[in-house]
Formats: sequence, C-alpha cells, structure tokens
Amino acid sequence: MENLPLAEPGVQLSVWALFLQAGWVVKLVMIGLLAASIWTWAIVVDKLLAYSRMRRSLNRFEQVFWSGQSLDDLYRTLSERKPTGMGSIFVAAMREWKKSFEKGAKSPIGLQNRIDKAMDLALTREMERLEGQLGFLATIGSAGPFVGLFGTVVGIMTSFQAIAGSKSTNLAVVAPGIAEALLATAIGLLAAIPAVIAYNKLSSDAGKLAVRMEGFADEFSAILSRQIDEKIPQQRAA
Amino acid sequence: MKAGLTTSVVLHAAVLGFGLFSLSAPAPLEVADVEALPVDIVPLSEMTQIQEGDKKAPMAEKAAPTPTERPDVVENAEKIGDNDIDTENPPTPDGKPKPVKTAEAAAPAPTPVAKPALEDTPKPKEEPKPVPATELAPVPAPQEEVKPEPVKEPEPKPEPVKQPEPAVKPEPKPEPVKQAEPKPAEQPEETVAAIEPVKPDAIAEAIAEEKPAPAEESVQLPSSAPAPQAKPRPAEAQTAKANERKASEKPVKEASSKPKSDDTGSIEDQINSVLNKDKAKGGGAKRSTQTSALGGEKNKGGKLSRGEEDAFLRQLQNCWSVPAGAENGDSLTAVVAFQVDPGSLKVTGRPQVETSSGNRAFDQSAVRAIMKCSDQGLQLPLGKEDIWSDVAITFDPRGMYF
Repeated sequence: MENLPLAEPGVQLSVWALFLQAGWVVKLVMIGLLAASIWTWAIVVDKLLAYSRMRRSLNRFEQVFWSGQSLDDLYRTLSERKPTGMGSIFVAAMREWKKSFEKGAKSPIGLQNRIDKAMDLALTREMERLEGQLGFLATIGSAGPFVGLFGTVVGIMTSFQAIAGSKSTNLAVVAPGIAEALLATAIGLLAAIPAVIAYNKLSSDAGKLAVRMEGFADEFSAILSRQIDEKIPQQRAA
Repeated sequence: MKAGLTTSVVLHAAVLGFGLFSLSAPAPLEVADVEALPVDIVPLSEMTQIQEGDKKAPMAEKAAPTPTERPDVVENAEKIGDNDIDTENPPTPDGKPKPVKTAEAAAPAPTPVAKPALEDTPKPKEEPKPVPATELAPVPAPQEEVKPEPVKEPEPKPEPVKQPEPAVKPEPKPEPVKQAEPKPAEQPEETVAAIEPVKPDAIAEAIAEEKPAPAEESVQLPSSAPAPQAKPRPAEAQTAKANERKASEKPVKEASSKPKSDDTGSIEDQINSVLNKDKAKGGGAKRSTQTSALGGEKNKGGKLSRGEEDAFLRQLQNCWSVPAGAENGDSLTAVVAFQVDPGSLKVTGRPQVETSSGNRAFDQSAVRAIMKCSDQGLQLPLGKEDIWSDVAITFDPRGMYF
C-alpha cells in the first residue's frame, strides 16, 4: 500500500500502462480473469470440435446401422476400435446380449433389463464426456463480472486513499486511478460474456446429441427385445 | 483439449497484442476554453429608484457621490462629506469666496469721507499703497488656510505693534490698536508715523458717520480715488485676524474682540467681524471612495420590509376598536394621514382624515386608534424615517394597509 498507484495527470492511459499502474490485488484479479478467459475459450473451441465430431460419428453410425448390415458383423468391426457415441451404446448392448444369450438365458425379462442397464450406463458415460466442463463456462459467466467488480472496488478504494493523501480533488488526479480500476471490470465482462453465450449454445447442442442417442438406445432396445422374444422359445424348443 | 487450449491462447495473445498497440492512450478529450461570464443579480429598485450620488456628475452604471478626501470612517453617518460630525448643510465649494469677501470689504473701505479733506496726507498714503498691495497679494494665498506659513507672518506683526504702542500710549487705546492693526505689515516706521496721526482722525470721523457711511459708500465708490487708501488697512486687518484665529483660538478671540469693542468705529471692521471668514464646511461625515456619478442626495423610494410593515399595522390594529356595526365589512374605509416625529416616534399634530368613510364615528375611531398607539410609542424602524415620517393609512375592518 505504500506506493499507492496514483497516476499523475497526463500519464499515458494505454491498457498496458493501466495494468502496470494497478495495485497487486487488482493485478491478481486481472490476471485471474485473463486466465479464466483463456480457459473458457479453450473449452469452447474444444467442445465445438468434439460436438461436430460426435455429430459426424452419429451420422455415420446411423447410416451403417440402418444399411441392413448384420448386427454381429457391425459389433465385430466396432468392438475392435474404441467406439464413441451411439457406437459405444451399441457395443455395450451387444456385449451384454452375447454374454447372456450365448450362455443360455433363463428369463427373457431379466435379459432385457440387463441390456437396458448397460445401454443407460453407456449413454450416461457419453453424456458426461459431452457435457463435462460446461459447468466451468457457467461459473465464469456468472462469477466473472463479480470478480471484476471486486477488483474495481479495491482499485477505486486504493485510488481514493491516494487522492486523500494528495489533498487534491482535481479530475486529472482522480481519473487515472478509476480508469485503471475499471479495467478489472472490463476484463471480467470480457471473460464472462463469451462464457455465458458459449454455455447456452453448447448445452443446447449437448442436449440435442443426448436426445439422438437416447432415441437410438430406445430403438435398439426395442429391436433386441423382439430378438429375445423370437430366439428364447426356439432355444427352449431346441 | 490441447487444440482448444492452444487456439484459445493464440486467440487471446492476438487480441491483447492488437489491443496494446491500437487501443493505447485514447486521444485526450478536447475541451474548448470557455470563459465563465460573471453574472450579477441586481434588484430592480437599484435601476428604477434614485440612488445616492452627485447631481452634477456624469451618468455612470452605478450612482456614487463625490469622493471624500478623508479616509477615516464615522459610524452611522448619513451625509456625504469630510466633516467629523454629520451636518445637514450641503458641502460648499472650496475657498474662493474669501477673496471675493476681501474685495467687497475693500470696496466699502473708502467710506472715510473725511479722508479727502486731509488731502495732504493722501500722497504719502499712496506711496505706501504699493507696499500693502504687494502685501495683499501674498495674503490671499495664505487665506486658503492650507499653509501654516501665513501664520508666521502675522505673528511678528503684533510685536511691532506693541513697540509703537508705548510711544502712543498716552493717547486713548483705540487709536494705537488701530494703528497696529492696519499697518502691522512691516511698516516702514517713518510712513507709519506719518499715517498714524491721520488715521485716528479718519476713524473718529468714520465713527461719527457710522450709519450714513454705508449709504454713501455706494455713491462714492466709483468717484473717490482715495478708496485704495483704506483698502490695505481692512484687508490687512482681516488677514491678520484670520491668521491669528487660525494660529490659535484664544489669542484670536482676544485680538479680535479687543479691536472690535475698542474701535467699534470702523464699519469695515464691524462687518468683517460679523462676517464668518472661516471656510464654510458643509457636508456630513459619511465617506465615499468611488468616483462621483449621477444620482440624488440620498437613496430614495425605499420601502418598509414586509415584517416592519406588518408590525406597524398590527400595532395600529390592536389600538383600534372598530365601532359597533362596522365590523361586518360594509365597505367602510377611511384614509388617515399623519406625521411621525422621528425623534420621539410620536404623531405630531393631529391625524387628518384624508378620505372619509362617510361614517363620522368610524373616521374618529381611526384617528383615536392612531393617537392611542402614538401614546404608546409607534413601532417603526429607525433609519427609514423618510418613508414613515409622513404616512397615510387605510383603515378597513377587513385589513389595514398603507
């Protein structure tokens, strides 16, 4: 506090100069907000890429799935590499089907239940992957302005203390301190606004993907249920 | 995630870098230098009412009386001037009246009609004339009373007077005194001796003719050449007296009174003694430092403040007992005028009913109310005498007003 950052009138007011003149609390806030902004944008870029990849993979899978190809063949090709999205749900369901059916399932209802559980689990894992880190965007979006405001209040406080020390209320003395303090709020808003927009867009995108995957899971569950009904009486008969 | 982070960092670096170079130091706000216009709020009355000032001075934005020379302030002074005490007299212009008076005094001097008779002596008198004339010339200058120098000159004069006295003493006092008075101016003793005998005669004659003399004066003035003879004497006497007075009061009185009582004879002396030769010092003691500007003698057209007016009217209302039957506001109104003595705050004389209400009892009740309040002492603000010293009040049961 001893070297109070009182800017003399006529001092350069560039952004960098303002940052250097600020007190250490304000500097800390500004640096934190800058880091948050960088991380926000990293998440946004990452998610946008991930969602577009996911969408493409879903499209390809649906194309393959409904092409009339044998499910066993599909399972064999998919399980060789690490599947994503609908692929992972399909693989999880098929794995459970094979384990139970090939060893001879006693109850078709129990088998159906197990397959549904496996698919739910796979779906949840996929969704977790999709929606992970969106919470950080939400946090930055809501807390960023407050953090910036905190920096501003502290900055204005110190600059007023400096003004009181200088015993002059000239606007030229008051203005630089306030400008430098307001820079903190500006950075806070700069980080928060894209975060809020991105959060809303990404969460709605994730919701759409989730709906598509859930729809596929239900459909696949229906297909498997029909298969069970057809194959279990045959096993019994055999 | 790596891709996202690197893109983000690159993005931020680009934006910050751009910001540092392009957003640095916003152009300072150009503020036009505008001089503030001083605005005075001036009450309308200052423009419309007569302000204290000088009647002969040129008009200026603000009326002001002629500046006074003395800086010391006398409290509560109301009249402009250099005096120590406030007086009603207007200030008089400086000292020129005096020379005029001396001239006048000189003119009547010729009165000594007898002098022509002693025509032998006039010659020596004429000779001395130039001397007194030269003496006279310097005298008027000191008459302005400003310089102490003249005082010194007269002082030595009385001394020589004393010297001649002992010689003449045997004679009656009046004579020597006169001799001393007129001639004191460094008279060459010889001429003095010559003149002395003449004067007593002339004086004696003058005494005898005292009253007729003035009448003759006017006639003789033009004709008689000898007039100058007398001139120097009274003039010198005057100057001597004036100077003496200035020097110190007591000696002045003695000197001036003695010759008067003793001489009684010379009319000029009498006139001179009656005439006040001191510069009339008019004016009050209020000082002014501004250059004079057109205006009246004092601020006029003032008004009683609302509170002062209310207090006065309420006092009258308390004194007034409205006659029975008139309270109901039958539009009975009477205007009563009266003068107030500023000193005692009491009504002088008897209030006059200016506009009668038509109801005698009502009019008289108003007059009684004023007299009753007058006995108690009217509540009027000091310093505004010119406003309330002569007032007319409208008596109306619904409310009084000026």
